[in-house]
Amino acid sequence: MKKVIIGNHAVSYGVMLSRTQVIAAYPITPQTEVVEKLSELCSNNKRVKLLKVESEHSSMSACIGASMTGVRTFTATSSQGLAFMHEVLHWAAGARLPIVMVNVNRAMAAPWTLWADQNDSLSQRDTGWLQFYCETNQEILDTIIQAFKISEEILLPSMICLDGFFLSHTSEPVDIPLKKDVDAFLPRYKPKYRIDVNDPHAFGGVTGVNYYFEMRNQMQEAMDKAKNVILKTGKKFKKSFGREYGLVEEYHCDDAEIILITSGMIAGTSRVVVDGYRRKGKRVGMLKVRTFRPFPAEEVRRVLGKTKKVAVIDRNISFGHSGIFFQEVKAAMYNEDVLNRPPIFGYITGLGGRDVTPDIIQEILDYTTLNTKPKDDIIWIGLKR
Amino acid sequence: MSKKLKLDRRKDIPPIAISLESTLSIKTGTWRYFSPLHKNKIPPCKHECPINQDVQGFIELITQDKFDKALKLIRRDNPFAAVTGRVCYHPCQTVCNREYFDGYVSIAALERAASDYGLYTEKKKATRNKKKKVAILGGGPSGLTCAYHLRMRGYQITVFEELSVLGGMLRVGIPDYRLPKNILDREISKIVDMGVEVKTNTKIGRDIDIQELENRYDAMFIATGAHLNRKLNILGESLKGVISGLKFLRDINLGRKVSLGKKVIVIGGGNTAFDAARLALRLGSRTTIIYRRTQEQMPAYIEEIEQGIEEEIEILYLTIPIKITENNEKGLTVECVKARLGDVDASGRRRPIPISGSNFFIKADTVISAIGEDADLSYLPKKLRCQKGVITTDENGVSSCFKIFAGGDVTDQPRTVAHAIGSGKRVAMAIHKALGGKTLKKPEEDLPVIEHEKINQDYFEEQKRIETPILTPTKRMRNTKEVKQGLKKDMAVKEAMRCFGCGICNQCENCLIFCPDLAVERDSDSFKVLYDYCKGCGICMLECPRGVITMEKEPIE
Repeated sequence: MKKVIIGNHAVSYGVMLSRTQVIAAYPITPQTEVVEKLSELCSNNKRVKLLKVESEHSSMSACIGASMTGVRTFTATSSQGLAFMHEVLHWAAGARLPIVMVNVNRAMAAPWTLWADQNDSLSQRDTGWLQFYCETNQEILDTIIQAFKISEEILLPSMICLDGFFLSHTSEPVDIPLKKDVDAFLPRYKPKYRIDVNDPHAFGGVTGVNYYFEMRNQMQEAMDKAKNVILKTGKKFKKSFGREYGLVEEYHCDDAEIILITSGMIAGTSRVVVDGYRRKGKRVGMLKVRTFRPFPAEEVRRVLGKTKKVAVIDRNISFGHSGIFFQEVKAAMYNEDVLNRPPIFGYITGLGGRDVTPDIIQEILDYTTLNTKPKDDIIWIGLKR
Repeated sequence: MSKKLKLDRRKDIPPIAISLESTLSIKTGTWRYFSPLHKNKIPPCKHECPINQDVQGFIELITQDKFDKALKLIRRDNPFAAVTGRVCYHPCQTVCNREYFDGYVSIAALERAASDYGLYTEKKKATRNKKKKVAILGGGPSGLTCAYHLRMRGYQITVFEELSVLGGMLRVGIPDYRLPKNILDREISKIVDMGVEVKTNTKIGRDIDIQELENRYDAMFIATGAHLNRKLNILGESLKGVISGLKFLRDINLGRKVSLGKKVIVIGGGNTAFDAARLALRLGSRTTIIYRRTQEQMPAYIEEIEQGIEEEIEILYLTIPIKITENNEKGLTVECVKARLGDVDASGRRRPIPISGSNFFIKADTVISAIGEDADLSYLPKKLRCQKGVITTDENGVSSCFKIFAGGDVTDQPRTVAHAIGSGKRVAMAIHKALGGKTLKKPEEDLPVIEHEKINQDYFEEQKRIETPILTPTKRMRNTKEVKQGLKKDMAVKEAMRCFGCGICNQCENCLIFCPDLAVERDSDSFKVLYDYCKGCGICMLECPRGVITMEKEPIE
């Protein structure tokens, strides 16, 4: 059934279709509609428990507790809320709990701001969570359903990111799958380890120098494994629902001389710009990075190994260095036996929700065309003069 | 118990930190210094009640709309629920722990509601009649309560009463507007109908010899009360027109006509004084109370004083009558002197000291003296030890003579309905024991009385007390209808809900829910602490709304 809905509601429908059992969330702009819709959808549903909590730290803590009992668990937050969760994000991943969370990307304060950029979620890069960046409302809904399946298989939590307002509050047609089809795709969660009063065990107790190291190694192994699981799950999803996203998406990359690297909704805008260049006969392509963790280094190398120039668009910044996707892409190209290492341009734009229009992307492409290599690690686009 | 872990190879290590063995092998109970114990405590209302009634118990039954059962529970101790629900001075309310939250629970009104809406009558005859016979001297609350409890246990009871009707002070000392006669009749007839023999118009010493009773009965209970009006000891006391408060109340209560004239002076500050004054008002007289101390020292119940003032009784405090004279024309003149308060006297109250030269005169048609009552001890056998005008007994009413017991106002205890009923109950138990009966009741364990600090008020919602409706002063004066009206049934249930249930477990399961070690389990209708695992953290104690759980130091088996 197709419905025209905002991104936040796509989240809510995805969560309900996944037969989530416990939701603990604290409202924050621009995530609020996720929780509103969920409370509406599960008001008469005794199989879902929606916990009202007093903070994001509590909501993630509640999710951890619930997930440890072996139920499917979800939360959603944004910006400062995500930052407030930071400590327990590590715990959720370290305890290997398949919690799924939506983070509606919003810039960090101060100064207070409500609009989109990716610094909130990218700041949580090293917590051990899978990170997905979505381009459309449809992708949001589909990713949530897939994320439960992926997380439950590899035992790591998933964070699904969508751009605040650009996706969260924009209506798009979304194909909402049938419940029975989702049930067939995503069966009940059968936890291997769970809290059981009839068979009590200690969880997360002090683990000495003998084992902690190995357990961290296992987390990395799970991340490595995640790549295949994401691809496999995506293929299975396509069989049922006809849509597939992968770790990355190549758009006219095969013969491209310049490849734009994008994430989130900017990928959508970039498609239009790429189409325009293609019509003029210019060989421009785009690589959309969908999963930031695990980072698809192999895919990046494979695609970039054939091009002449690369332009990375970052709606984020790691102060004192450069854009974060830019760093990751560059790092992926080093050390390995890559035959062709094209110059990589790092563009920072759209921080704090400033619109990244086709003109901006055109400016980026033009700059990349005109210059043989970047003068600096950061090229600022759209700054006031 | 726990074996040494050997996880030398990477693949043996689980992905999450989970104990390989069940944590049940870890007996965290060894960490404990204090052990929680579920043990019901004594609520202050019960502790303070002279009858030791299960107040919390009957209130809980009212919350469940079980008025019959509530009445049955009250009648286990007290066969006069309708009476105490109206005229008891309710010390239970004074100590109610809810007073520290949003005001005491209207216990008296609830007791009355139980008697108003509950239906319960004991079986006509005791199941097994014993041969033993008990004589009860005095058909007041104390004597009848004793008769009730002993009759329940099968004894042959004979009650001897000087007056033509039973009830004692309840009958002749309390006006209708506080205790309607039909209510009293109902309660008394329930006791008599159990098969109690009653001999009215029988005065001991006049109509029957006490020695004869002693011989004929296996035990004797003296509960003849205090019906002698204390003397004023001033000039003019014996003048016509100076009457005793007790006699006045008795005459009115027995339906005799009394004419007081236009202006009445009542001397005294106790309940009899207020009863007499308020009755005089209702007979159409202007009434003044003369009291030698201030309101603070008045022995009358505050409720009586307040209602009296509402009804526009004039009260002259710090006023001592010194002489009553007859006027030339008609009526009396009372000469008074003003007083000031001096040091504390034997009664614990400040002594009034006359101020010389402050004499003044008040005119009246009738003077009612009501400064206290004394017991008539003249008919008692010489061997019975008496002291300070009352029979000497221990707390169970055991006197100095074998098989003679005494209780109520004729003994040394506060002269209240509740104390009379309480002593009647205790004496019944003592007689039962003396005549070879088994005491079924466990001796009151030395359980602590629950203090308000032990109540976790976070679990209770504020709810204003439902006040007992009271007739307006103008409505009251038109007739002798009851001043205090009862609570409606639904109001009573609502008011009962306010009871904290201090110290009594109602199985809310907070202990079970909050225990971080899952060391509290249900055990049929109570709880079991798994002492193998309880660390003694005390969270269950803190989270118990009613203070049932205590932390005890010694190890508990």
